[in-house]
Amino acid sequence: MCDQTFMAATFGPCESCGKPSPLMNIYIKNEAINYCSFCVELMACQGLQSGESVASLKRECESLKKKLEEERGKLNDVELHQVADKIEVLGALAIKTRRVLKGHGNKVLCMDWCKDKRRLVSSSQDGKVIVWDGFTLSKENGISVPCTWVMACAYAPTGCAVACGGLDNKCSKAVAMHTNYVSGCTFTNSDNQILTSSGDGSCALWDVESGQLLQSFHGHTADVLSLDLAPSETGNTFVSGGCDKKANVWDMRSGQNIQSFESHVSDINCVKYYPSGDAFASASDDATCRFYDLRADREVAVYQKDSVIFGASTVDFSLSGRLLFAGYNDYTINVWDVLKGTRSSILFGHENRVSRVRVSPDGTALCSASWDHTLRIWA
Amino acid sequence: RCNHSSNYSSIISSKLIHQLRIEAGMERLKISLTAADLVQYCQEHKRSDPLLTGINTSNPFKDKKSCVLL
Repeated sequence: MCDQTFMAATFGPCESCGKPSPLMNIYIKNEAINYCSFCVELMACQGLQSGESVASLKRECESLKKKLEEERGKLNDVELHQVADKIEVLGALAIKTRRVLKGHGNKVLCMDWCKDKRRLVSSSQDGKVIVWDGFTLSKENGISVPCTWVMACAYAPTGCAVACGGLDNKCSKAVAMHTNYVSGCTFTNSDNQILTSSGDGSCALWDVESGQLLQSFHGHTADVLSLDLAPSETGNTFVSGGCDKKANVWDMRSGQNIQSFESHVSDINCVKYYPSGDAFASASDDATCRFYDLRADREVAVYQKDSVIFGASTVDFSLSGRLLFAGYNDYTINVWDVLKGTRSSILFGHENRVSRVRVSPDGTALCSASWDHTLRIWA
Repeated sequence: RCNHSSNYSSIISSKLIHQLRIEAGMERLKISLTAADLVQYCQEHKRSDPLLTGINTSNPFKDKKSCVLL
């Protein structure tokens, strides 16, 4: 999507000049400082690190990276699909379109299921957000958001509220303010907090009622396109993926980037946790989906085929984690056997790019959203 | 005359080193162990995965008129 590399920024008073402006979050000798970009330039001009040359710092970076790779390599004693050799092959899947939801006037960019397993919310390029009853196909609610490209929408845990965000850089009535578009949003475990990802390179945690920024997450060097919260049993972490080809895992309380994965060769469009919380999958413009094991700290599977040449935009797991549904720009949904690494099935039906796939909370159905203006429910 | 880009690079490098040190400190497990756990999770939950088994007698999305051959 974009090739620009820049430091992430948030708003606030500069720790040097005091003026409220976009801040750069940087470290000098392990101390975090938040200066506006002007003061950073000024400080760089004055020369800050006596005795440490750029070359020696770069050498230390390279040697640390090499050491990390060596450590990760030592654990690669077997491949995932080898361990999966002993389990049975998947039978043919009887999944087909059961509902087609028509009503959007333009590309459907995002959708989310309500915890009641029947309602869903979808958002579109035409600025409309619609709440549907998935069983009866009736539209329960429709609102117009004052911006086009509503790229993200999410259902609150209680089912009483919906959040959305997009090109206006905001998430719902200015709860969240980024300095670039909002690409993804999700409620945390309550209706009171929202986690957002943005084209400005950062992720942020907000209090819904006050609109206050609770925590910000800096580390990506380009647009963040997707995020996913770890299943509640595993604790307070989330994973994000973006245009810098990296997938980062974050500690929600400290704001710290605790793990980082860089194996895709193009933008990561979507990230999703495996149901146990010990792994996650990613979908990328490089036409592959990948599976990362968090406890081994490395990629353990690549879902690809010579015949699959279009970018993957979205992924989600079935309830047991055995199936990975992935939506592609060639209008199809590929169903991958997560453990064996093979493709189990292809779902045809959409007449344009698939922008989002989501399995329902009880695992009985898959919903897909597409640029063909429709949503489909498969079961 | 100060060298803007070299001092800016040193800021970025410092930040990267800080991050890499945190990542280097992580305790990692062998794939033979972690993969076995991933497989076990799938096996334990496969019977309650409707999209996998295809069996769901009370699935309201499925057409009531069709027959399910067991």
